[in-house]
Amino acid sequence: MRIAGFFLGFLFLASLVSGYRVVAQDTQQPTASVAPVTDVVTNPTRAAPQELSSANAKSRNYDSGSDGDHKLHLRLGTIALGAGYSHFSGPAYYPYGLYPLSPFGWEYSALWFPYWGSYPFFAPGYFDYGSAKGEVRLWAEPKTAGVYLDHAYAGTANHLRNIWLEPGAYDLSLAATGREDFHQRIYVLSGKSLKITAKLIAAEPKPGEAPGQEKEKP
Amino acid sequence: MNWKLCVAMSLVSVTFLVAEGPKGTEPRPAATAYPAHAEINGVAVGAALLTADQARRHFVSDVNRCCLVVEVAFYPPKDKPLSVSLNDFVLRIKDADVAAKPSSAEVIAASLQKKAHADRNVTVSPSYGVTYQSGRAYDPVTGTTQGSGVTQTSGVLVGIGRPGPNPASTDKDRSAMEAELSEKGLPEGAATTPIAGYIYFPISSKKKTVARQLEYKLGESTIALSLP
Repeated sequence: MRIAGFFLGFLFLASLVSGYRVVAQDTQQPTASVAPVTDVVTNPTRAAPQELSSANAKSRNYDSGSDGDHKLHLRLGTIALGAGYSHFSGPAYYPYGLYPLSPFGWEYSALWFPYWGSYPFFAPGYFDYGSAKGEVRLWAEPKTAGVYLDHAYAGTANHLRNIWLEPGAYDLSLAATGREDFHQRIYVLSGKSLKITAKLIAAEPKPGEAPGQEKEKP
Repeated sequence: MNWKLCVAMSLVSVTFLVAEGPKGTEPRPAATAYPAHAEINGVAVGAALLTADQARRHFVSDVNRCCLVVEVAFYPPKDKPLSVSLNDFVLRIKDADVAAKPSSAEVIAASLQKKAHADRNVTVSPSYGVTYQSGRAYDPVTGTTQGSGVTQTSGVLVGIGRPGPNPASTDKDRSAMEAELSEKGLPEGAATTPIAGYIYFPISSKKKTVARQLEYKLGESTIALSLP
């Protein structure tokens, strides 16, 4: 029983340590959500650049420092809750080695990539979260609009609500049948979040063009 | 053959320069649409000082940390191209006797990156743990043997600094900020049609009541615009 007590104590310490690790990972995540959100675009084709963007400036209130040379950011990290009970029953054995067709391993990706079927132009994981990336939160109407990044197809808008990109300037385009295309130049900075609202307005039928006729995509 | 190659390369270079140059913003219908405007020698000028909130909305880069942003538009006469240069601008703060010339996008981006790098972050993470222990264990502190029970622990983890880089502090961020500031900046050079764009003054005055005056040297004359 004494062994069980020591083991439980060890488990508790381990839970604390693992909780801290979660905190250490998540501290990067809130910076994206609380960082200055910048551009919100509603009418892309006719508005001037300065009118194209409106902001979620309230998120800046998280910055508790001044606008001087240095800022002090105070953030609430992950709240760690731990509970556990275990019964020690002997040594455990986990065989090491490759697990074939693991969904997280390179073997799996190599089976269906590159570009089998109608998969987008970017490699798997290209838009995944990264500590040195910036977030683009995309809201589009219609949700099935095709999204193009630097003129390369990225997928449909409903699958690209949160994308993470390396810092840089990109040309974002959205296209849907019967709607006018949406174009915007976006600037992504690491640790910052950018909100894009793309409402594709219905395209006016051209003279001699049948209604519902498909238009060319960029 | 060589001269053809030279001409082709020059054309390609010019094309790239034109394509990569600043594009500015969409000018308003007339100079009078700007809060501050004037006309001299047939050239109409409009200007608007961006508030901190407007700067946040129009820029991903945190320009409020280093400078004041002024949107400027020029409306040249139809038959006479206007040469626009950032060196001809001066922003004066009347009460403080401070004057500044605009900074380039490269300088502003480098300054913003440096300041972002110097940020400090404090993360506070409360923690709470519950442990159930079965059996009996000897407590060396009290010298007694304790039975099964529940132990509760709580605490706060305080982290100073960041596990990763600060936002907008990498070299790629600097390039992105530079691209944004230059693409939205006032286009320089000869203008035959209305142009507009932002210019960035390295003054971080937060006082709203300060009287600011934008001056632009146009030939022998100087246009002075009081920015509200």
